[in-house]
This record gives sequence, structure tokens and C-alpha cells, in this order.
Amino acid sequence: MTTFTRTARAGAVLGLASLALVACGRDSGGNAPTEQGEAIDDGKATGTIEVWAMGTEGDMLGDFAAAFSEENPDAKVEVTAVPWESAHEKIANAIASGETPDVTLVGTTWMGEFAQSGGLEPLPEDLVDPADFYEGAWGSTEVGGTSFGVPWYVETRVLYYRKDLAAKAGWDAAPKTWDELKQFSVDLQDKGGAEYGIQLPAGGTGSWQTMLPFAWSAGVDITNEDGTEYTLDTPEMVEALEFYKGFFDDGISPTRMLDAGELESGFADGTYGSFISGPWHTGLVEEQGVDQDEYAVAPLPGRDGGPGTSFVGGGDLAVFADSDNKESAWKFVQWLADPATQQGFYDEVGDLPAVPAAWETGELAEDPQLQIFGEQLKTTVAPPAVPTWEEVATVVDSEVEKTTKGDTSVEDAVAEMQRQAAQIGTGL
Amino acid sequence: MSAPTSSPPAPATRAPEGGTRSRHVDPTRRQQAVAAWMLALPFVLLFVVFSLGPVLASLGMSFTDMKRTDIRNPFAVEFVGIDNYVKLVQDPLFRKVTLNTLLYLLLGVPLTMAVALVVALGINRVERLKGLLRVGYYLPVVTSIVAVSVVWKFLYRDNGGLFNTVLGWVGIDGPGWLDSTTLSLPALVLMAVWRNFGTLMVIFLAGLATIPQEVAEAAEVDGATGWSRFRYITLPMLRPTLLFGAVITGIGYLQFFEEAFVMTKGGPLDSTRSATYFTFDQFGFGNYGYAAAASYLLFLAVVLLTWVQFRWLGEREAKR
Repeated sequence: MTTFTRTARAGAVLGLASLALVACGRDSGGNAPTEQGEAIDDGKATGTIEVWAMGTEGDMLGDFAAAFSEENPDAKVEVTAVPWESAHEKIANAIASGETPDVTLVGTTWMGEFAQSGGLEPLPEDLVDPADFYEGAWGSTEVGGTSFGVPWYVETRVLYYRKDLAAKAGWDAAPKTWDELKQFSVDLQDKGGAEYGIQLPAGGTGSWQTMLPFAWSAGVDITNEDGTEYTLDTPEMVEALEFYKGFFDDGISPTRMLDAGELESGFADGTYGSFISGPWHTGLVEEQGVDQDEYAVAPLPGRDGGPGTSFVGGGDLAVFADSDNKESAWKFVQWLADPATQQGFYDEVGDLPAVPAAWETGELAEDPQLQIFGEQLKTTVAPPAVPTWEEVATVVDSEVEKTTKGDTSVEDAVAEMQRQAAQIGTGL
Repeated sequence: MSAPTSSPPAPATRAPEGGTRSRHVDPTRRQQAVAAWMLALPFVLLFVVFSLGPVLASLGMSFTDMKRTDIRNPFAVEFVGIDNYVKLVQDPLFRKVTLNTLLYLLLGVPLTMAVALVVALGINRVERLKGLLRVGYYLPVVTSIVAVSVVWKFLYRDNGGLFNTVLGWVGIDGPGWLDSTTLSLPALVLMAVWRNFGTLMVIFLAGLATIPQEVAEAAEVDGATGWSRFRYITLPMLRPTLLFGAVITGIGYLQFFEEAFVMTKGGPLDSTRSATYFTFDQFGFGNYGYAAAASYLLFLAVVLLTWVQFRWLGEREAKR
């Protein structure tokens, strides 16, 4: 018994000590700067520029950057390839310890968090012109009205459909409005012979990426202008979710979660007549034996005739606040965002350029399929660059699932989204 | 796991001067104590720095509003008292995952123990192929949980899954096991039972081996049936083994995560999201304070469960 009380007492003392340590209080306001950085000079870059990049970009950037070193003989670019799976943690740890490289590729949804923690340097004045980039992609770099990086490459979601089944159902062009999309899917199912007219995610991780474009098309703004409050509870949101839910209620889209690979094989054998996804799916469906002339891509239909708004993802380039070679780091970023470099990078790696000017010549200008993506990119919205977005996104996912699979009404689901989002706060 | 030491000091350790305790410390013994501490020091240091430190830090963290964006100045956070704990108890999702975890525990532990006991009793009786059977039943335990989950995900598939194909032979149109809010959790329990009973079976086999043959024979002579021999001899004599099995299975099941992570991502409609999964999510969202509080609640639950099991299944004479 005595041992027990002694241990308990020691534990209590230690616990209190640790409490005393943490009870220091938060400064008012965030850690992130609120103004753009000072403009940098036009001189050549110098010194070593350490760069972190993930995935294919990480593997290819090292060789690709040789051209930069040729233009700037005093600068040396050192690229470290980081796997996507561990990238978030690695960047977070680097920021926490202050031991950072100079430049990093940042997933667009991480910008809010890293900028808010004070780990990223605000973009210098006049380094690039925001008007040179796709508007949606540029939005992903802006945290609380200040830009913390430059879009590097982009991806967006479009409608994939089986052209042969559509022709059988009497459609020789893609739907242009929501009503047409609904009719299109119904026809694919009833007349075209597809088991399901369209495959939309009924919930689960990442389903917001397919659902929210409908909301954006209806005119929803997820946060207010400064990103300080979520504004999900609007009639437009209700309208969009109501429309989305209709596909499941009418049995046009399956409600079950698909296994990996099931969508592509199902698209090939005619189980699913259409779906919404990004550029990587062209390769995946062709691998499954769908011929180029058996399917087509089309921009997302708008609510009533105008272009539909899609999701834009991709990667941004940012410079760390703890970098010791900031000027040269920004010059490297500037070089990567240049239209000629962007086009060269597409030829080499296949990443879609974030700069429309890079789409005006070469393969990007000629390939009709790529042109659809280029057209869609003109009307896109990036998810809000706030630190809590990923958490709120799962709230959206789970409320969407409650309407498509459960019996929660759309109004209740939207109200609940807003209630939880307000409780979480944007973190800015 | 240490033996009881509160009994009166054994003769060997009594001081040579007589029965009275002396404050005087033999210099040799002091040297030995110093040497012992020196030898233990590397471990103690590592333990304090890498185990005790983080544990206490996370306990402290659970009383603050620390978020991911605070990583550059971790001490500049607000102390919020038990707010995180209060918020957790009120969080409908946390309530739901607690319920899921409890269901998993209540379904899983008795089922795993029952299956393990039946198999152990069976293997105990067979004479031949005992080793092969033991290895066979134990095999799932040593397979990677992720690999097992991926395979079982295919077994549970709505179209073309093994279960539904077999059900189809007898004319039953099987459901989409993992797509149903009511069936997905039991489906995961079933898999967990299959995967985990091997450990308990081995432990129970060892327990059965300690039951003296004479007792059972004496009972047989007295005319006890098979069932009463099991009920009045085997079960009571297995009690400590059963307790141990219940405790380790219970602790494991309270923390279930990988199965749901691989097979259902916590869905559909959060029906397979566990308390650990919830904590994992919160850490992922960067709500470090909230996540730490959730993990301490889970820790409390483990302690409580173990205590209850000791009360129920522990030695009867411990009661006063």
C-alpha cells in the first residue's frame, strides 16, 4: 500500500510540474506574417539551394534543374526526393526544429497549416504576376489574404463517360447543365445499357472533392473573404447537396464504397457509364482496355449552362522562413513558374502547367483531351487554404454520407456541417 | 507480475545482529547498491527520456489547446483544464466510437475465448497431429494484420466474395458485408476472432496441461459426467489462465484499429470507427491536445476493464 501512495504522489507532482511548464499562454494572433515579403533584386542566384520534392517530381527535378544552374553558374540546386506518405510529417518536423531546406513542394491542402505555423516565407512583392496563373490554383497559395508560394503544377476533375454507350442512348455530345447531366446518366443506364449511369462517391474519405464542385458551381463560398469563418449553411449548398443526393436516391449511382481498381474495370465492362475524376484516369481506363474512341472527357456541367466549377489540386512551391538562402530560393521558384520552364516540365514529367501561357504551344495545345483539362482549369476553385480544412472536409464527407446512405435530410446535414465547422473554426 | 513481497522478511535477509531492524548500512551492500544503479542507469536514462518523458508530456498536452500550428512554439499554448475531456464526452462522434469499441470488445472477447477454449480442449484430446493442428491454428496470429485484412476484404465482397458465393450455393443472396452499417462491425469481429484465437488456444493448452490427471480420474470414479468434469474441475482450475486470456484479449480489442483502417476506413457511416481510430484522426487533423485527451480516456478504459476482469475472474479468496 505504501508503494502505491508514494507512486501516486510522485505521479501527481510530475503531472503538476508538466502542467506548470505548459501553462504559458498563447500570444494573440497567429504566427504567420500578414504582408507580402520585400521585392528581391534581378541578379543571378548564388549558393546552394536545397529543395524537397515528392513523388515523380522529386525524382525528375534534380536533372531538370541543370538548366537553372547553367543560367546561374554560382548556384547549385540540391534536390531531395521525399515520399508523399511521409512528406507532411517531414515538413512539419523541419518547421518545428528550424532545420529546414530552402524550397519545398507543398500539397495544396497543406498551405494553410504550414503558413499559419509561421514556417513559410510570404511571397516577395512582384516576384510573379498572379494573373499569369490559373485563378483557382493561385487561390491555394493565399492564406488569410497573403500569398505564401507559387503554384507549380495542377490537376482538375472532369466528367469521363463512355462515348459508345452515350451514342446508344442518343447523346452525341456531353451534358452542359445539371438537368442534362441527370438525364444523361439516366439514359446511359436505361438506354445505354450501363448498370449505373454514373459513379459518384456516396461518402467516405475524399468524397468532398467530387461533391463540392457542385456546390461551387451553385455559387457556394466555403469561407468568408478573409478565411476567418466557415459559411457552409447556405441555400446554394442545400441545392447542390440535394442534386447530388438525387443520383443515389434514384439508383443512378451506387452507394457502396468501391475497392481499388473496381471503378476502372467497371467503366471498361460497362457497369458504370460515367464518373468524375482527374487526369490520371485517362491512363488507368486505357490500361483496362477502354479504347480512345470508346470514351471521352468533358468539362463539368454548370448549374444552368455556364461552365461548371471544378476542384483544383496539385502542388505549390514555397520557401521556408528558416531558409538561409531565401533570395536565390525565390529565384529558383520564379524560374520554375516561367511558362517556358513549365512547358518543358510537362514534356519531361507530364505535370499539367499552372500557367495558362504554357498551354498555348506544343502538345498541350494540340491534344483535344488535354484541351478539355485546360478549359476546365479556367473555372476551378481550390479548397480553402486554412489550417483546419482537412478536418472540416471529413465533416463534409460524413454529412454527405449521412444523406446518401442514412436518412438525414439535406437541410439537417448542411446545418450540422456548419455547426461542426463553426466549432472547429478556420484556425486563422 | 512480481511475487507478493509484503509477507514477513524471510530468515535469509534478516540482519545478523538479531530481529531488530538496524539503520546501519553495511558498506558492501551500499557498494552493491551503487553498482546496481550504475548498471541500471543506461536503461533508466533511456526510459526517462524516451518513455516517461513523452508520456508525461502527452498528459500535460491533454490539458492544453495545443494544435499543429503551434509546433514552432509548443509552450505558447493555453492551459484549458479538463475542457478537452468535457468536449470529448459531449462529442457525438466520440460517443459513437466508444460504443463501437465496447461492442467490439463485448462481442469479440467472449467469442475469441470460447473458440480458443473449445479448440484447446479438442486438441488436448487428440493424440496424433497435435503439433500440426497447433501450428495451423496459430498461423493467423503471426501473419501481418494488414495482409489478413486485405484478404478478408475480398472474402467479404458483395459480388464474387467467398462468403456470398458459398451462401449463393444454398440459395441465399448474401449482403454486402462491409457496406452495411449493421453487419460491418460483426464482420470485423469475426475476422478478429479467427485471427486472434490462436494465442489464447496456446495459453489454454498450457493451462490444461497443469490440471492434474488424478483429479479428473477421481471425479470419473465418483461418476461425474463429461460436462460436470468440465464445469466443476477444468473450468475452476483454468481460472487464472482464463483471467490472463481475458485481460490480454480485452486490452488488444479495446485498441482495435488496423482492421477498420484497411477494410472499411471506419465506414459506412462511422459504424466501424473505433476509439483508437478517432484518436488517430484527431492527431491527423493536428488537434494534439484533443487527441491526447482521447488517448488518456482510452488508457483509463483499459485500466478499468482490467480491474473489472480481475474482480470477476480473480482468485476467490482475495475477497474479504
